[in-house]
Amino acid sequence: MPRLLFLLFLWVPALFAADVRLSREGAELFVSGRSPEQISAFYGARGMPPAALQELSKACFLTVVLHNRRNDTLWLEPAAWRFIDTQGQPIARISRQEWTARWSALQVPLAAQSTFGWTQLPESRDLYPDETVGANISLVSPVGSFSLIARFRTGADGKGKMIELNVPNLSCLREGASQ
Amino acid sequence: MKRWIVACALLLVFSQAGAAEPPAGMIKLDGRPAPALQLSDLDGKRVDVTQNHGRWTLVHFWATWCGPCRREMPTLAQLMRELPAERLNIYLVNTSENEDDVFAFLASVSPELSTLLDRDGQVTERWQPRGLPASFLVDPQGRMRYLALGGREWVSTPYLNFLRELTAK
Repeated sequence: MPRLLFLLFLWVPALFAADVRLSREGAELFVSGRSPEQISAFYGARGMPPAALQELSKACFLTVVLHNRRNDTLWLEPAAWRFIDTQGQPIARISRQEWTARWSALQVPLAAQSTFGWTQLPESRDLYPDETVGANISLVSPVGSFSLIARFRTGADGKGKMIELNVPNLSCLREGASQ
Repeated sequence: MKRWIVACALLLVFSQAGAAEPPAGMIKLDGRPAPALQLSDLDGKRVDVTQNHGRWTLVHFWATWCGPCRREMPTLAQLMRELPAERLNIYLVNTSENEDDVFAFLASVSPELSTLLDRDGQVTERWQPRGLPASFLVDPQGRMRYLALGGREWVSTPYLNFLRELTAK
């Protein structure tokens, strides 16, 4: 039961004080940092072997929830997002394909790979009106704070108005950091 | 005159039957054939969902770590009581978890429910839900017709009316 409560706590982003919530023209974005302990506890309980947990602990995980409150399609495409440090330098995102390659090399069990996959943001998603997507996105751990510039295409064909959301002052939670 | 009234009544009935519009947020699919789904349940009994052609089938993918799944489970149990299996087959498919975790979870949320176990997650990958939880509605010919994402109130009036109309055909 304590483990269940912990997991519920882990996956209910609204409980955290360091959360960022922004909205523009019907694109509602929520971002929250995850600590290495949270990530290790969650995936460790779901069959990720120690070598894989070590890989995970090197990365910076953010939980992202995007809600389409528009009347048309909103496109989630993390490849079109930019993470920038305080010097204006880009911070690399770790794609699902990169993780899959790592898991294959480490011979991570398929079930653990599958769970990991379902908890990562899709690489592309056409969000229908009122549809929500919520999952993690991972970065090569930056030093210090950073910003996210998230861009969204709109419309069924993606040719509608472009929406841009700027999320400043994000940071990666370090080992032992509390929320 | 009588014939005319009967014809109008029939027209009205058929026009309403054809207007089975899904509740807001439910996605209409293109009718592609449902992928194979042969899995074991918590008792080790093998189930082949493709054997159930001839009836509408709801295939619900879920996991214990997903918050909306927890909230949705009791409404699925209620839906089973509202629409018997002769009208709507309901199959739960747990994605990538072990039977101990699944059993403990269901016991605490909806003890009357059972689930199929997709132990390595590969069946779920073939069905390609857009996220978890996800429920596919498969028609009597085995074609995927609708997808409902996120936790749904399956026994709320819009869903129940829709499903009743759909499965009455």
